Amino acid sequence: MSAALLRVEGLTVAFGHGRGRNVAVEGLSYHLDAGETLAIVGESGSGKSVSSMALLGLLPPRTAHIEGGRALYRGDDLLSLPEAGLRALRGNRIAMIFQEPMTSLTPVIRIGQQLTEALEEHRGLSGAEARDKALEMLRLVDLSDPPRRMRQFPHELSGGMRQRVMIAMAMALEPDILIADEPTTALDVTVQAQILDLMRDVQARFGTAILLITHDMGVVAEMADRVVVMNKGRKVEEGPVGAIFARPQAEYTARLLAAVPRLGARREEDGPRPVTADPARPGEVVLHAEGLGKTFAGRGGLFRKAAGTVAMDDVGFTVRAGETLALVGESGSGKSTSGRAVLRLLEVDEGRIELEGEDLRALPHGSLRKARRAMQMVFQDPFAALNPRMSVGRLIGEPMYIHGIAQGAELQDRVAELLRRVGLEADHMQRYPHEFSGGQRQRICIARALGVEPKLIVADEPTSALDVSVQAQVLELMLELQQSMGLAYLFISHDMAVVEEMAHRVAVMRAGRIVEMGPRRDVLGDPRHPYTSALLAAVPRPDPTALRGKLPKLDLDTLPMGALRQAAPNHWVAA
Amino acid sequence: MARFIAQRLVAALITIWIATIAVTLLIHLVPGDPVRIMYSGFQTTDAEIEAIRERLGLDQPVVVQYVMYLGRVLQGDLGYSIVGDQPVLDTLLQRFPATLALTVSALIIAVVVGGSLGFFAAYKKGTAWDFGAMTLAIVGVSMPHFWLGLLLLFLFAMTLEWLPVGGSGWQNLILPALTLGLATGAVIARLTRSAMIDIFDQDFVRTAHAKGLPKTLVLYRHALRSGLVPVVSMLGLQFAYLMGGAIVIENVFAWNGVGRLAIQAVFARDYPLIQGFILFFATVVALVSVIIDVAYALLDPRIRYGT
Repeated sequence: MSAALLRVEGLTVAFGHGRGRNVAVEGLSYHLDAGETLAIVGESGSGKSVSSMALLGLLPPRTAHIEGGRALYRGDDLLSLPEAGLRALRGNRIAMIFQEPMTSLTPVIRIGQQLTEALEEHRGLSGAEARDKALEMLRLVDLSDPPRRMRQFPHELSGGMRQRVMIAMAMALEPDILIADEPTTALDVTVQAQILDLMRDVQARFGTAILLITHDMGVVAEMADRVVVMNKGRKVEEGPVGAIFARPQAEYTARLLAAVPRLGARREEDGPRPVTADPARPGEVVLHAEGLGKTFAGRGGLFRKAAGTVAMDDVGFTVRAGETLALVGESGSGKSTSGRAVLRLLEVDEGRIELEGEDLRALPHGSLRKARRAMQMVFQDPFAALNPRMSVGRLIGEPMYIHGIAQGAELQDRVAELLRRVGLEADHMQRYPHEFSGGQRQRICIARALGVEPKLIVADEPTSALDVSVQAQVLELMLELQQSMGLAYLFISHDMAVVEEMAHRVAVMRAGRIVEMGPRRDVLGDPRHPYTSALLAAVPRPDPTALRGKLPKLDLDTLPMGALRQAAPNHWVAA
Repeated sequence: MARFIAQRLVAALITIWIATIAVTLLIHLVPGDPVRIMYSGFQTTDAEIEAIRERLGLDQPVVVQYVMYLGRVLQGDLGYSIVGDQPVLDTLLQRFPATLALTVSALIIAVVVGGSLGFFAAYKKGTAWDFGAMTLAIVGVSMPHFWLGLLLLFLFAMTLEWLPVGGSGWQNLILPALTLGLATGAVIARLTRSAMIDIFDQDFVRTAHAKGLPKTLVLYRHALRSGLVPVVSMLGLQFAYLMGGAIVIENVFAWNGVGRLAIQAVFARDYPLIQGFILFFATVVALVSVIIDVAYALLDPRIRYGT
């Protein structure tokens, strides 16, 4: 019983006082054994991060209060330890890595110093000894040329490399416990797979216990020995990972698992799931793009021009009414650039964009505005996409007003109708964006896009910022709208499982080029390009009994990146 | 880095070049005949006025005047000062060390006092300490230079008699530098506070805490250095304000720098000196901006490596 390395009992954390008091974690208890991985899963607001920050005294001072509970580690109660005692444990016996590798390293200090300072502080190592240890750790996390990395600043490293540095930093003192707060959420899926592999490696080597905080059931299935499920600050279920996935006891866990999109679930189907009685079939071509190219200018010198970054190179595709074309790829693949180019939110260097047969690039400005009516955009971040100082009614009504579709009482009626259409209430139009949850805001964004009766909606990662249960509802809404109104979607996403649910056809992008394009069933079920295969292999499966295999090694130098050739009917692969 | 410095220097040269144009136009924008205004205190005949006009080149078209002026400036000839009875450049260079001593000590006071106050307020954000520090800063920002100067004079020189009222020794530098420095320090305090509040919320500060570093190390090594980046970037502008403030302060404290000279030049309608002063002033501000931009780049490696 008392063998547990860490035992948390009745942890309660609240923000604010009096009437503004808001309980973030209530009566949370769990234990962590030496060398095991315990996943704490939950959606946003579940208290999973707050509860683990509380252990190390890293909650924002003055606003957050630990109101009760104990956290026993080697006989000490972490929650009542004085700051000096806690500091001696932090980074030393209990280390932490965070979600955002891009911002978690100090930008103005070299990697070397960031690695060595904790070694010098906790172990009293000399500069040279700490340096040797740091180099050893950088080698251990598979970073090339460690001496050079030591001299670099964080901005010179990619996100995946920075997360490796974070892991090297955290593991350098061989801690008993590693708290990993969404360690791979901000990373691309292939990088995520590498980082998860690395975490397992270092865990095996040092026998570290990992407290893994995540919202991603795929990561849980892959990494965890045991799972604690949290909802609204409370633990709803706890158990071995196999049991949680196979026989969830709590209703919430079951719902959460059901909402997780599973890659391969629709392997045998041709199109998305029908959600209306008579779903619209793909019809006329709405959007046709070909030969799109865009190079972002580099920072030139005083007298010479710098080579730019190629964001799009010879990109072309077609989207039909009632059809979803998914653009998938990792960060920097050019998928978002392509989406923006289609709407002419950015100027392409070359290529043709036709909307219902009309060349958008040849249109004068006035006609372009009219053409924009036919295409609307839904963005990734529904918090940033709505002006916080405008009421929902004005936000949704504005495009209709601008395009002269309706005004006055008629406009009000249409806004009310649109709100109902996306599953909100008509009287929500008086309210302001901050009064809505993320999922509701995304519904508002969709209502705003629908107001001008577009033919095409460009959706750029529309559910990436949402919790899985909310994501499922928004995707359902998008399917229903498409099938009843015959909308064409250009659906930009990094999430293969979501793409499988939504898309009729898929285009895989890498380094600004489409490397594979075809019917969704063929591309995901029978990938012909090695990059597509790697992308699919890297997706963590939300099923502890069917883990992904070893990652295929991609040889980037010989990767076919040429023009598309037809490999099977309508299935195009880069040669 | 060399390219970065070269870029900044070119920008500074452009600034100075624009100042030369402004300086030439200045004479023509002032209502009335500059030569008559300049010599209004003297008994002059029309012929003499014409002769002076011709000697100064004021009878030429503006463009020709400008080209001639630029040519002389490039040779280091800023004209002849009536007040100083010697070349303008010599007059300015004689007085400049005093102004430099004043503005640099004021800048040091501003950075030390303002920086610490802002850092402290950010660290104590939301407490009475923060409120008190920021109230002080508001007072400092709002109070005109000359008024603060007079108050300090009254207190330290006349009532307490700790410091002299005016003169040119180092004791005489204390009050004007303090006056000028405190006002700018108030601006810097506000800048530092908001920069540091941002920084304290950053993920990397949390990382540094999570490493178990002592609080002082987290604050000074990780937070302060990052927080100084936006503050330093504003120092160039602050220095320009300081130079402007110096004109007033030098007069309040009878400090014999270029600022006091400028006022004398204005009252004496000494056009060559006024022109020379403006050009000189612009040059100093532009060059100091370059120095501060370089310091800024040294603090932030992302700028240093041009990414």
